[in-house]
Amino acid sequence: MSESLKEALESTFKDIQVSVHEDSRIAVTAESHSVLAILKFLKDAGFDHLALISSVDWIEDNVIELCFILTCYERGGEHANSQKMHIILKTPIPREQPQFKTVIGVFPNAEPYEREIHELFGIDFEGHPRLTPLLLERHYEIPPFRKDFDTRKYVEEVFDSIPSIEPEKT
Amino acid sequence: MDRNQIRKWLKAPAKMANKYSLHAIYFCTGCGIIEVPPVITARWDAERFGVIPVATPRQANLFLITGYVSVKTLRAIIRTYEQMHEPKYTVGFGSCPVNGGMYWDSYNTIKHLDKYIPIDGWIAGCMPRPEAIFIAVTHLWTLIDKEMADGYVRYRKNYEAYRRNQEMALGKLDWPPLFPATDDLRGNEQ
Repeated sequence: MSESLKEALESTFKDIQVSVHEDSRIAVTAESHSVLAILKFLKDAGFDHLALISSVDWIEDNVIELCFILTCYERGGEHANSQKMHIILKTPIPREQPQFKTVIGVFPNAEPYEREIHELFGIDFEGHPRLTPLLLERHYEIPPFRKDFDTRKYVEEVFDSIPSIEPEKT
Repeated sequence: MDRNQIRKWLKAPAKMANKYSLHAIYFCTGCGIIEVPPVITARWDAERFGVIPVATPRQANLFLITGYVSVKTLRAIIRTYEQMHEPKYTVGFGSCPVNGGMYWDSYNTIKHLDKYIPIDGWIAGCMPRPEAIFIAVTHLWTLIDKEMADGYVRYRKNYEAYRRNQEMALGKLDWPPLFPATDDLRGNEQ
């Protein structure tokens, strides 16, 4: 049940906020140093599927928030009940020094997500085996998914500055 | 065969054969490719118009670019286009190759595909109906008849400008130029 999982999380870890939105959805906000321990705890509690790693750029608060979304394949585990549960684990990291430890050791399928976030948000994942370009072809001064990346200015400078080949027919 | 066209067939048999057997490279770009499976199969049956999909660019002479073109796709499009044999015809399908469409301010989607490869015709719309492909094919027949579908000729003629634009978008290209500057064949078809 989600209430018993909430109690277990709050008794195991300090400085985390757990909120139950519905019976099957839980949001956890934690500091970045305890994320790996929470992920291990949740994996042992039956949440064996890392569905997604995403991130949000909160430019007013000067943080980038990493979101780990966990689900369970089966209805096993001591806290899982009759319906499948989703957990979203959020952690803020500073925008100036966007660094985080890789979670490949806990969930191996985190590798492409971390490469994507490294490319689009500019977060460095310590211990990641290959943070090479995945999706983008061009080099960007500011990672393109950050809020201070001005797409219109970029398009005007790059794609609109390429000349047409032939004069337009009238 | 239409008897009224028999003089055209006798005059330029190769051109007429090209015109009525367009082999479209099955290159999936963006969302527009979802219109192509019903077009080539039983529902709309593109073979009525002589259009048939083929697997490799070496066998194709019609290139349908069906949707937004990201920078990474542009690299594949240029390589595919340069592998096709002449005469080759390109048709931009949908709003996005025309001017960017809904991706007009995207950081990774090129606008104006005709800056990078020559385009013979456009099908506007988001999405165009499958029937629009047949209207485009019949227009392309007219253009081939009048020798106005000359994208491959323009590509030879302005190859340096096209290559310069491609390198502006993609950085240094890792394949040699299709028409080197010393090639004597250049411009002979003008």
